[in-house]
Amino acid sequence: MSQSEPPGGVFGLSYDGETRVSEALKLVSTAIIVLVGAWPIYWMTQLAFTQYETVESAVTVFPTPDIFTFDNFNVLTDPEMYTYMFNTVVVAIGTIVTVVLVSLIAGYGLARLEFPQKENFARILLIGYLFSPIVIGIPLYQIWQNIGLLGTRFGLIIALSAISMPFAVWLMWKYIMTIPEAHEEAAWVDGASRWRGFRDVVVPQCRPAIIAAALFAFALAWNDFTFAQILLPQTETTTFAPGILRAMGQAQFLPDAYLMAISLAMTLPPLLFAYFMQSYLLKGFQVRAL
Amino acid sequence: MPDIEIRNLTKVYEESGNEIVAVDDVDLTIKDGEFVTLVGPSGCGKTTTLRCVAGLNKPTSGTITFGDREVTDKPVQERNIALLFQDIALYPHMSVQENMAYGLKITGFSREERIARVEEAAELLQITDQLEKMPADLSGGQQQRVALGRSLVRDPEIFLFDEPMSDLDAKLKAELRPVIEKVTDEIGCPTLYVTHDQEEAMTMSDRVAVINDGELAQVAPPKEVYDEPNSQFVSQFIGQPSTQFFDGKVGAVNGTAELDVGGYEYDLARDGLEGWAGEDIRVGLRPQYIRVSEDSEAGIPATHLLDEPLGDATHSFFDTEFGEIVVVTDPDFVGDGKEYGLVFDDEYIQLFDTDSGVRIA
Repeated sequence: MSQSEPPGGVFGLSYDGETRVSEALKLVSTAIIVLVGAWPIYWMTQLAFTQYETVESAVTVFPTPDIFTFDNFNVLTDPEMYTYMFNTVVVAIGTIVTVVLVSLIAGYGLARLEFPQKENFARILLIGYLFSPIVIGIPLYQIWQNIGLLGTRFGLIIALSAISMPFAVWLMWKYIMTIPEAHEEAAWVDGASRWRGFRDVVVPQCRPAIIAAALFAFALAWNDFTFAQILLPQTETTTFAPGILRAMGQAQFLPDAYLMAISLAMTLPPLLFAYFMQSYLLKGFQVRAL
Repeated sequence: MPDIEIRNLTKVYEESGNEIVAVDDVDLTIKDGEFVTLVGPSGCGKTTTLRCVAGLNKPTSGTITFGDREVTDKPVQERNIALLFQDIALYPHMSVQENMAYGLKITGFSREERIARVEEAAELLQITDQLEKMPADLSGGQQQRVALGRSLVRDPEIFLFDEPMSDLDAKLKAELRPVIEKVTDEIGCPTLYVTHDQEEAMTMSDRVAVINDGELAQVAPPKEVYDEPNSQFVSQFIGQPSTQFFDGKVGAVNGTAELDVGGYEYDLARDGLEGWAGEDIRVGLRPQYIRVSEDSEAGIPATHLLDEPLGDATHSFFDTEFGEIVVVTDPDFVGDGKEYGLVFDDEYIQLFDTDSGVRIA
């Protein structure tokens, strides 16, 4: 073997051949991922813009002008659907606010204060993830019933926040640890109280982690089915996911095209949120030793 | 402006059951307008001392007084100090202007006053054109200027520095040293400057406090610390290259004292050696005071190892019967690996107790 010969690669081809093959394979795998990820969204979108009679009677792959329509979206003005969506938005925002506030303060405490069994406390936090929502859901139903939180959006916000919290607290803890303590000490030297230093110096620097935690909480709250189904039994307070299932079972007239229109309306916010926040999101998740 | 008085300051850390004494009974007074440098090797307790003065650490015992105000139990916010950190610690999400004005904002100054003060400080520090930038866009030296400005605008009672230049390169350090002196002069308050860099200590201070293992070894003006170290530690720590040490024995003491270093005899016209006749002793001599003779018969025979030419002087290394010896030689000196004789200038010989390291004569 001569010196200039590259070492044999995975496919035992020449250097150039190897590069071409791996480029081609990269393209193929990207195509597969895009197809799997994007196909359901495409299908939903195209059906949402197709006349519902057509959807019921034939399989179409594109809403050509003769079958194209916006009418499916009129279903969103239906008071029931409107309630579901409003509830979902309220619950999602409530969960985000709760998760961000609590995890910031808890993460700060873990990062900056000394207390016994700190490490163990943080580890136990993660045990929450070992249980599926349905396991927690049933005891929660009983507890919420006793203390009067059952059927309230507030009750669902608390339950969903609790589910997001371990991750969010862990994230904040590790993120705040990357902020040099000297920044805060400089603020104290400048005369800021501990709380003021936290607010003025730590919180603004946590923006990537706040966005990551918010996105995580948002995704969880927006997509939640189990908790909403268990904890919001009445139709007027329920959220989108269980609501649409109920609507499918109960409504006399709810064609697939309408369902797709509703689904599309509910899928867009998280998509946009994730898309525009992705640079922050990556920074937030980049914390070492997470 | 008050003096800083540190009395019997002790700080004990507890780490996995072990007690570590970081600062051991330190007494130090810094007069109004005085610049005192706390210098020592890493882990000697100098930063802990400073943090106790700042109020960021709580001393185990001892008191800290600013003028007639005892601040030992006061939190850092109530001490009205300025502190420059090793990692500069500018608020990365605020502009230079906001960084400098933050303290004033907390104190409740009006917007106009804040801007006026910041501009005045920026002018003194020559960073007027940087005010709109973010800290990340500044060089290390400029960042440290901003940090100085942040302290300057608040007109503090006490100025503390925690190795503020240890991350900067030598040229920037030399550039910033006069700036720091200018700023501390401008404020005119007592200054405590912590560093491990003896050059900073020597060049900027009114007095140098050498600290070792949590205890103050010597507190004196820079020249005195250099010329008249009171212990082996200070002699070895201050000065570049380090003092060279040898084992010696005191002979007859009679007006002059005879000193025997490995068979080489010196007559020292020195007081304070009464009672040391026949005792072992530690001999120290700065490399500046060792002369290299072409004649290998003169003084201690030495084989030249290598030269480090610095431009204004050369550090030459020799192999001798005492091990490796560094000598400061003429800038044009080229040793060439030949044989030489090392001659001690006995006027500058320092003598230390072999056990305690305390200076004897």
